[in-house]
Amino acid sequence: MAVEHKRSRRLKKRITNAVLAILLIWSLFPVYWMCVTSLKSNRDIYTEPGLLPVAPVLTHYRATLFDSHFLTFLRNSFLVAVATTAASIVVGSLAAYAITRLHFVGRRWVARSIIFVYLVPPALLFIPLFAVVHMLGLADTIYSLMLTYLTFTVPFCTWLLIGYFKTIPTEIAEAALVDGCGPAGTLWRIIVPLALPAMAVVALFSYTLSWNEFLYAMVFIGSDSQKTLTVGLVGLIMGDVFMWGQLMASSVLASLPPVLIYAVSQKWVISGLAVGGVKG
Amino acid sequence: MGAGDEGKSRARLAAPVASRHRHLFGKDAPLAYLFLSPILLVLAGLVAYPFFSAIFLSLQDKMVGAPGAFVGFQNYVTLMRDAIFRKTVVNTFIYTIVGVTLKAVLGMTIALVINEEIRARNLMRALCFLPWAFPTLIVSLNWKWIYEGTQAGLLNMVLYNSGLVSTYVRFLSDVNLALFSVITAMVWQGTPFYAMMFLAGMQAIPRELYEAAEVDGASVFQRFFKITLPSLTNIIIITMLLSTIWTANNIEFVYILTGGGPNYATHIFPTLSYEIAIASRRLGLGATVPLMFLPILVVIIIVLTRRMLEQE
Repeated sequence: MAVEHKRSRRLKKRITNAVLAILLIWSLFPVYWMCVTSLKSNRDIYTEPGLLPVAPVLTHYRATLFDSHFLTFLRNSFLVAVATTAASIVVGSLAAYAITRLHFVGRRWVARSIIFVYLVPPALLFIPLFAVVHMLGLADTIYSLMLTYLTFTVPFCTWLLIGYFKTIPTEIAEAALVDGCGPAGTLWRIIVPLALPAMAVVALFSYTLSWNEFLYAMVFIGSDSQKTLTVGLVGLIMGDVFMWGQLMASSVLASLPPVLIYAVSQKWVISGLAVGGVKG
Repeated sequence: MGAGDEGKSRARLAAPVASRHRHLFGKDAPLAYLFLSPILLVLAGLVAYPFFSAIFLSLQDKMVGAPGAFVGFQNYVTLMRDAIFRKTVVNTFIYTIVGVTLKAVLGMTIALVINEEIRARNLMRALCFLPWAFPTLIVSLNWKWIYEGTQAGLLNMVLYNSGLVSTYVRFLSDVNLALFSVITAMVWQGTPFYAMMFLAGMQAIPRELYEAAEVDGASVFQRFFKITLPSLTNIIIITMLLSTIWTANNIEFVYILTGGGPNYATHIFPTLSYEIAIASRRLGLGATVPLMFLPILVVIIIVLTRRMLEQE
């Protein structure tokens, strides 16, 4: 019985490891292929293709950084992501504090409508928002993105912050209120410092969402000077037939910020997910 | 008797009047509404207003830059009679249902494996979830390159060199393959989200349940179907519903990989809507496309909202 048990355990371990190996290849090989392609010369990419970078070159990275609009796109992506994230954290914190700590009529209704809005997909809103952006005179500028990205970053940040604010014991906030802090003072002096790590994580998520957005950027932006990285890269496809080397180099560079953010924050990702659904 | 006491007594005198207002909207109402005003502005101005104007647009025949003419439900009728739209509906359902199912099965597999006592668990977890960290647009570009229909494409290179095929496979331009090629790319990126959610749920299941089951001689499968799966029901439902909305509404994979082709075999409603509204400049008809799916979306959102609030 015991021997049999041991054997079945060993078998289970072996199956687990085999499945894990397959899953790792599945998850990592496309990433590997992107990196390898970015390091190959055009000749190696198209006429002598192989799985390894036989003679790695940095030509594509040089072309990306110095002979394309890449740095302009990068700056735009950065500005848009920072602006929307900052605005969302402020708006989201105020709302989350009101919903978790204040007593007022319509609290449940507001919480419900925030989730509701979080679930309304951009595919439903991009056409009327296109009209709004035109009406406001923001068409073809990064400001149109700073404004419209709030449609998903604000509900998303608020929803996560509500979860985090709830974990701060009410006694602490009540003690501060008794000591004469007032609700605004309590938010600023007690809740914000305690929630700071959580707010940092939420900010990173929001930055990533904004950095990765494509649909609004494609619809609202036409000029190269205003394009973010995602739409900017699509422009490359149209350009050259032999563009895959440069396209993959640009892709590697454009993926670095979200991937680094992921590497730094992945410890918190799961607890963040436990609080509420994140992104797909 | 200090100034403080005087202030207190004055407050006591004023209390009955103030509290009547307080009871009407709750005791923190003024501050609460002040704090909520920015978010309400965003919700009303950037989501509610555009949403209703989309419905308004769908009742008009409107081109970009021209005034619209009210046409009632003409756009809805036009779409329902349109063969391309009907093809799009079928594609959207196949794309979403097959995609969500595959992601759930694969995500469960990843979560189960990571939840075992494996070596370098945190690193393995990070690596298995890596696809999630990449921008969807870049994932789409990468898979377009992987699917390249010449010897330079990764899949064709491997298949051809190993003798499995004698002519290069046209993953993205073969009518029978294109939709499944797009789904594969989408599953690659979407699976980690499922695995993360499932894993988070699994870690909340008490160890004792498994230990007791093991003592009782329950097999691996019995433990999975009797303990793991029932404990995860709510998380599985939330994850799949969230993912259904995101999958059906995602434009990047189809737009980049096939552009809806070949012969409309991969058009889904976001790409069709984009093509009609932006490329052909017919805003009214374009806005109608996603609205055709509104009843399904509303049902999913209501169920999800209820479950997400319960989960809290």
